[in-house]
Amino acid sequence: MNADPQKSMEAYLAALRRQLRDLMDEDVREIVEEIHAHILDRTSGDSSPEMLADTLAALGSPQQLALRYHTDELVQRAQLTRSPALLFRTLLRWAALSVGGMAVFMLSGIGYCIGGMLFGMAFLKAFFPRQAGLSIEYTQGHLSSAGFGAGSGPHTGHDPIGLWLIPICLVLGSAILFLTFRLGMWSLRWFAHPRRQPALVAVEE
Amino acid sequence: MNGTPNSPDIDAAEKWEVQLRKGTLELAILASLWNEPLYGLEILRNLESGSRLVVVEGTVYPLLTRLRSLGLLASEWVESDSGHPRKYYCLTDAGRSRALALSRVWLRFAGSMASVLTPLGDVARPEPILTKEPA
Repeated sequence: MNADPQKSMEAYLAALRRQLRDLMDEDVREIVEEIHAHILDRTSGDSSPEMLADTLAALGSPQQLALRYHTDELVQRAQLTRSPALLFRTLLRWAALSVGGMAVFMLSGIGYCIGGMLFGMAFLKAFFPRQAGLSIEYTQGHLSSAGFGAGSGPHTGHDPIGLWLIPICLVLGSAILFLTFRLGMWSLRWFAHPRRQPALVAVEE
Repeated sequence: MNGTPNSPDIDAAEKWEVQLRKGTLELAILASLWNEPLYGLEILRNLESGSRLVVVEGTVYPLLTRLRSLGLLASEWVESDSGHPRKYYCLTDAGRSRALALSRVWLRFAGSMASVLTPLGDVARPEPILTKEPA
């Protein structure tokens, strides 16, 4: 903590402004001004470095505080729009701030990739039915090779699913994308709010 | 049967109460604005003085912003004698309606729970079960 309270406060607000850079300029200005006013009110009777340190500690670090604004803002927008892209961007932002965020971001990335690949497979099967899908080969009555994917030429094996692969991939891909989305939303709410920063603390009588 | 909770029970109670707090902070803020517009620090002090609850400051301002973006609160910057402007919040019609709806649910729920808990009698009376301070 800087010994000069004014400089400490300015450094805190500057850091908060940087952390909020993804929001709209007008929103950032309002948030920073409100936090500035809060700090001035809190320290109006005692402007010592210790009082300022207590005030800033009660607000949390600029990263934590910005994360709450981001989370509230982006989770709300993601809930309203149901946009996986928006949620993914929120998780990316969170991943830059914590290990938990990074883990959820990576899991979500894997989920979106698998979901996207299944959709891609449905597309390929629809337009290139002989090059994409399951391929199972038997040699003298025994399974000799099995594969799933798409190649440049027609596969030589037997495809037991055929065109049923299209609805299967679409349903499975949708389910994985949906579950990935739900996982992301749930993680944001769970990690970013109540446990790490309980909103209210009971005071003993 | 003596009702001294053991450690896992206390942990479970703490987790449960965190969820309760999360769900009730919105109502607490809306209720504190029922009579008059207040700025952030006044809301915090209002909650602290009017209840056994202390609000973690860093959670309130983002929540105020969210409630405003939901149309439940309106805000206005007002010049103050202290030399800097303050952002005052007041309930919108939608906010009043939400506060009433939430408070009715809460009162009904609390009344029902009080009846359900009657058999526990004095054993259940408030030893403060919360021990964790915010980080």
